[in-house]
Amino acid sequence: MTAVRFAGISKTFGDIVALQPTDLDVASGQFLTLLGPSGSGKTTLLNICAGYLAPSAGCVIVGDKDVTRIPARARNMGMVFQNYALFPHMTVFENVAYGLRVRRIDRAEIERRVTDTLAMVQLGGFGDRAITRLSGGQQQRVALARAMVIEPDILLMDEPLGALDRQLRKDVQLEIRRLHIARPRTTIYVTHDQEEALVMSDRIAVMRAGRIVQAGSGRDLYERPLDVFVARFLGESNLIPGIVASLDDGTAGLRVDGLTKPIEGRATQGLCLHQPAFALIRPESVRPIADGIQATVVERVYLGEIIALRLRLPNAQELWCRRFAAEIPDSPTQAIGWDRAAVSILPELSPEERNQVLC
Amino acid sequence: MAGRVALSTFAALVGAFLVLPILAVIPAAFNASSFIRLPPEAWSVRWWSVFFADPSWRRALFTSLQVATLACGLSVILGTAAALGIARLGGRTRQIALAVFVGPVIVPVIVLAVALYSLARSAGLVGTVTMLAIAHTMLALPYVALNVGVSLAALDPRLAMAATGLGASPARVFRTITLPLIMPGVIGGAVFAFVTSFDEVVLSVFLAGPQVKTLPVRIWEEIRVEYTPLVAVAATIMIGLALAAAAASRLLQRRAA
Repeated sequence: MTAVRFAGISKTFGDIVALQPTDLDVASGQFLTLLGPSGSGKTTLLNICAGYLAPSAGCVIVGDKDVTRIPARARNMGMVFQNYALFPHMTVFENVAYGLRVRRIDRAEIERRVTDTLAMVQLGGFGDRAITRLSGGQQQRVALARAMVIEPDILLMDEPLGALDRQLRKDVQLEIRRLHIARPRTTIYVTHDQEEALVMSDRIAVMRAGRIVQAGSGRDLYERPLDVFVARFLGESNLIPGIVASLDDGTAGLRVDGLTKPIEGRATQGLCLHQPAFALIRPESVRPIADGIQATVVERVYLGEIIALRLRLPNAQELWCRRFAAEIPDSPTQAIGWDRAAVSILPELSPEERNQVLC
Repeated sequence: MAGRVALSTFAALVGAFLVLPILAVIPAAFNASSFIRLPPEAWSVRWWSVFFADPSWRRALFTSLQVATLACGLSVILGTAAALGIARLGGRTRQIALAVFVGPVIVPVIVLAVALYSLARSAGLVGTVTMLAIAHTMLALPYVALNVGVSLAALDPRLAMAATGLGASPARVFRTITLPLIMPGVIGGAVFAFVTSFDEVVLSVFLAGPQVKTLPVRIWEEIRVEYTPLVAVAATIMIGLALAAAAASRLLQRRAA
């Protein structure tokens, strides 16, 4: 079942297009992440969903109700802000209770729900604390509790972990994931951090320049990116430029200067024969092969059980390779190759985006 | 080192220049003789009893308190509303609105006084507490608007967004989030407004009537006739009230913060 549907939603500020007409469905109970660099329109889309911004066109449908003209305060959405936006003059308890008091829920019920929610985010016993006496991680959890306690139709989060240090961020990511699995709520999460997106999401929508470039599971996006932008944004990638030399039935061959044989791989939508394209080979797919391409080792990075090699191909193209240490002989040159199934041939821009650029 | 001493001495002298005339008034109020002499030859509270026994002085003090309280209340309400409105404006409109609201402080008070006098005369409001309060509000309102504006600028707009998102109406957001958080600015503005009204003399001279005059107007009248320690008593009361207002605001601001 669809919990939220964005239909033709767009937003312009004067001459600036913050969001191109966008369609997106979020299934009930799904954790969807809007992933993209700053200025890609992800926060705009989130704020339109919350009702903080009115779209220039299109509508937002929650359940089967069009909420486009319903003000933020009547939408029943729980928002977690980037800087938490906790009320500094209230205690932890009062912050979490705020939305319930607004809803005129009786005292005993408020007490019970706030206490339960604080326990859920592991802040039991913190109710009387002043907000200013909490650490960043604790403040983040108060913000989460405040948004969840009202049983929102949709939980919205705008880069909520940005202010935390790296280790804490990892802990909180897993905690949010656990909370979501224990009690799935429809969630829209905004981040520019690909790892965060991969850890937490059921589905990821990659955004760029006010558009959703591709939406799918983390695995889909990693293994079958539609274009170079998505490939670069998720995970590490080797992208080798060339010219499409053959194209048939889902397979493409890419002619690359300085390599004797074209690189073959799965053809992605939008390729044209004799046009420039890229071969995507993930570093973990590059491996030693007895009769492979002779590559020079430019750099060898020891990462514990993994070794990363920066290799130079005969055409001066560089490639990263990540293998278990035991697989890599200690020599200045390596014969390397890859499985055809692990290679994608990609256009620089997805067909849809190319249309945008041409328009 | 010598430079440091010289600088400290200079700073102390400037400080004395600013504070001594104010401090000199206080002993003068406790003078036993009929003339202001410094230091007093004999200490006495004689002039204090004369002050409070004289109905014209008592009335002036009461009028001043009445006018200052009214002007303070009015300018706090209007000034806070103005600051909230201005904070929502952008660009040029904001500049213009700011200029309009700060205008009365920049315009020479005598010009304002003449303008208000003719207006008050045609409305038959000369010599009323109402007119004095309205006139003082014009001078006090900008201080409230500026003070509250500073507090508002420091307020994260996302707090109001968060409260709205949790279902609060605009009125509730104002009452439970915005107002408590800008309270230090409101209190500071209120004290400024009260003190501004309490020691305002130019507008008051124009707008006062035979029965309704503020303390500064009464002082001014007094010293044109004779220079008695009564004036010092009145001045000491004014200093005391100003200090009390400042102290109260510090206390309230600390509690609000």
